[in-house]
Formats: sequence, C-alpha cells, structure tokens
Amino acid sequence: MKKRAITLFINGDEYNITVDADETLTQVIRNQLNLTDLKHCCGRGECGACTVQVEDDRYPTGKKIINSCLSLAAMMDGKRIYTVGGLEKGGTLHPVQEAFVEQGAVQCGFCSGGMIMKTVDILENNAKAGEAEIREGLEGNICRCTGYTKIVEAAKQAGKVMAAGK
Amino acid sequence: MSNSRILPEFELLAPKTMSEAVDMAARYGDRATVLAGGTDVIIMLEKNAVKPEYVIALGEIPDLDYITYSKADGLTIGALATAYQLVQDKKVKKKYPALWQAAASLGSPQIRNAATIVGNILRASPSGDCCCAMLALGGSVVLESTSGRREVSIDDFFIDYGKIERREDEIAVELKLPPVEDASTSAFLRMTRMTFDLSKVSAAVSLQMSGKKCKAVRMAMGAVAPTAIRIKKAETMLEGVTITEKLLSDVAATVSRQVKPIDDVRSTADYRREVSGVLAKRVIKAACNV
Ligand SMILES: Cc1cc2nc3c(=O)[nH]c(=O)nc-3n(C[C@@H](O)[C@@H](O)[C@H](O)COP(=O)(O)OP(=O)(O)OC[C@H]3O[C@@H](n4cnc5c(N)ncnc54)[C@H](O)[C@@H]3O)c2cc1C
Ligand code: FES
Ligand code: FES
Repeated sequence: MKKRAITLFINGDEYNITVDADETLTQVIRNQLNLTDLKHCCGRGECGACTVQVEDDRYPTGKKIINSCLSLAAMMDGKRIYTVGGLEKGGTLHPVQEAFVEQGAVQCGFCSGGMIMKTVDILENNAKAGEAEIREGLEGNICRCTGYTKIVEAAKQAGKVMAAGK
Repeated sequence: MSNSRILPEFELLAPKTMSEAVDMAARYGDRATVLAGGTDVIIMLEKNAVKPEYVIALGEIPDLDYITYSKADGLTIGALATAYQLVQDKKVKKKYPALWQAAASLGSPQIRNAATIVGNILRASPSGDCCCAMLALGGSVVLESTSGRREVSIDDFFIDYGKIERREDEIAVELKLPPVEDASTSAFLRMTRMTFDLSKVSAAVSLQMSGKKCKAVRMAMGAVAPTAIRIKKAETMLEGVTITEKLLSDVAATVSRQVKPIDDVRSTADYRREVSGVLAKRVIKAACNV
C-alpha cells in the first residue's frame, strides 16, 4: 500500500485520516492534524524533541514514550497517543508544566514539549524519583539552552505535587 | 505531503502472520527492507542509505515479542521483543548479565522502547551492543523462509561490514541462547563519549569458573573491526588456567594486538587499540570478581 486509512486518538480526540506509507508520526501529527505543539528536530532519535507517549498495556502505566520521528504513522492504527498539547485540562496546567514555568526550565522552548512529556513519563512511573533517576530518565532529550539544572529542579518540584496528589 | 517529504517513497507491507511475511520476502527479495522497531531502518531511509521499493513492517504480527527461558532450551527472544522488555526480565538479568547490560545501556529510554534485540543483531553494526554480548554468550539466529526454518550459529552470522548470513528471502524469527550452568558468569562493558552514545569500544565475556580457574570462556569485542568479533587468542590464554592479575595483563596486551580498529567520528584507531586491552581486562574482572 502507498496510503493507509487509519484512526489515531490524540490526547483523547479521534482522527480518521489517510496517511502516506512513508510519513512519520511526527509529520502526520504536525502537518496533517496541525497539532504543532509536537516538534520535529533531528529526525534521527537523538534529541527527543518529538517525544510522545503511546498506549501500551505491557507497561506499568499503560503508556510508553517513543520518538515519533522514528515511527511510521501508518503502523499506529488505532493507537492512543499523548502529546504535550493535551496536558492542560480546562485552563489548568499539568503539575509538570507548572513546575517548568516556575523553575525557568524553558528558554527557547524547542525541547520543552518533548522534555515535559519525558518528565511526565518518569514521574507517572515514580513520582518520588530522585535526582539520579530523573537525570538518567532524561537521557535522550537534549536541551541547548537551560543547562538541565532547572529542568531537573522542575521535575523534582512536579514530583512532589504528583506524589501528594495520589 | 510532498512539500515536507522526509523519507523517500515506498510501498508499505504489513503482514499479519510470519507466513505472510516470508511470502513477501520471497516475492520481493532485495527490493524490500524488513522493519521491526525502525530505530535503524527509519534513519537509513532518511539518509537514503537504503532505497527499498517495499518496506515489510513486522509490527502487526501478534505474539512475536516473547522472551522465554527454560533449563532445557535456554533463552529464546522473539523478533519483536524490545530492549525494554529484555531489561525488565529478571531471568535475563540473572542468567545472561552480558546481554542484559548491553540492552540496558542501549540508546535512550525512547530508543529502548522501540529497538528490538533481533534488529540489533540483524543490523550487525560493529558497535551493536547486543551483537557483542551475544557473540560472547553464544547461540543462534533462527531464520525463516518459504522453504522452512534454519538456525545459523552466531559465530557464522556476521560476515563483514553490513554483510550477514541471511538470504534476502529470509526473516529472522528469534534468537536462541544456550542454557547457562550454575558456575557461569558473564559481563558486558562499553566506552562512550557520553552515556547516551554509540560504543567506541565494547567488550563482553562469558566464563565458566571453578573457583578461580576458568573452565570455558568466550570473549567478544565491538567497534574494533568491521563486525563484532570473537577474541580467540584471549580465550586460548584463559581456558583451563587460574585467572591472575598477571594473566589479565597479558590478555590485555594480546587483545590490543589482535584488534583492527578504524578511525571515525567517535574515536581514533590508536585510542581504540589501547583501550580495548584495558576494557578486556575490566570485563573479565566484572564477570568473575577476581
Ligand atoms: C539515537 C539512537 C541511539 C542508539 N544507541 C545504540 C546503542 O547505544 N547501542 C546499540 O547497539 N545500538 C544503538 N542504536 C541502534 C539500535 O537502536 C538498533 O540497532 C536497534 O536495536 C535495531 O532494532 P529495531 O527493532 O529498531 O530494528 P530496525 O531498525 O527495524 O531494523 C534493523 C535492521 O535489522 C533488519 N531486521 C530487523 N528485524 C528483522 C527481522 N526479523 N528479520 C530480518 N531482518 C530484520 C532491518 O532490515 C534492518 O536492517 C541507537 C539508535 C538510535 C537511533
Ligand atoms: S526529532 Fe525525533 S528525536 Fe530528534
Ligand atoms: S529551552 Fe531551548 S533547547 Fe531547551
């Protein structure tokens, strides 16, 4: 097939679309669905800017993080996918977003979507993750601006909020 | 969306069973590329390093992500089992630490969630961490075609850079690693510029010990030759003798002489040669605590 009709559920919304066989998930979400909160950067799995969560019932949280630049959209039929654009609920930011703002963990912002999704994933797995676990978890997400310290501080702050919320 | 093309055009084939997949491989041969987790294939497509007319994506074949262990058959790893799954497996961690360590340090969390172990072996990169670990542990790759299955020993699998013992009409179904005995240990170590990077040099060893005496050994290194390689001279030196500090220094010197590394973006040949001896010594120590 050169094209495939698929259904994607992005941040809970259903999209019935036809995609080209050779389009990556990043391309489809950005160009066809216009959900440009998702960023495309290196396109080679190295920077993490394109990080999304995808449902996968083999994981403890029912979700896993992947680089959307390395997956073919046509192979994601029926999948539930979560991007940074879906974190805000009714005008209220997610604790991780809140913490990134408060700690100044965002400068140019290009890495932030992927960085925040990665942090959400780390903390959903373990809200009490310590500095070492956070830093190890953040491997695969590159930030050219902040120097990471503020990102780690933000993750720790958000972890406290998320642990208290449970 | 031709205005934003990233990957070249191809036709996608999404078989629902292994028998459909091998039919496709038989029909299209070298006009097709097999895709599992895609962490190598998507990049090869993006760089135009491969230009297939067809991509055979295995992702929709059910029940291919198994990892099983039995005392009789050893470890079996299905074609869609990922590095993440292997790292979660306590049996693998305990019985095949070399492979576990290779999978645990492979790429980033996102990469480990997508990358398959079989794909790492089939890509056969000289710096493929699971290639190095599996060469030390021994085992075989099970390949399937329309004419049936065959098992190729890992010792015969890597032929040259980018060349493996797989016919273009074959799909890899699983990897098999032999059962491990109680006195067996193994370890994998690698050197990188940063933790999240491909190996400059990697080393793996599996040992069967009787006290401080080495009864049997397999040793492999990565990124020091066109493929991951066994270091047979080192194995000969170790086999049947007591492991001492002096012996390990001699092994290190031999390893440095035997390897044939290259200069590339990650390191120089001289550095790799020097460091490979050190790494060989360290990995033996890591495996057997001497
Ligand atoms: C950012 C990044 C970091 C990385 N870091 C490391 C690292 O530290 N160490 C390391 O070893 N590797 C690393 N890799 C490479 C590693 O992710 C891959 O080698 C991976 O294991 C391949 O598995 P895959 O499922 O993604 O395979 P794919 O990309 O789908 O395929 C890989 C190759 O195997 C073939 N293939 C796959 N499955 C089959 C099958 N069943 N039958 C026949 N052919 C098959 C494909 O045609 C292709 O040639 C990294 C990659 C990226 C992008
Ligand atoms: S754009 Fe996907 S990892 Fe960089
Ligand atoms: S804020 Fe600019 S890359 Fe991270």
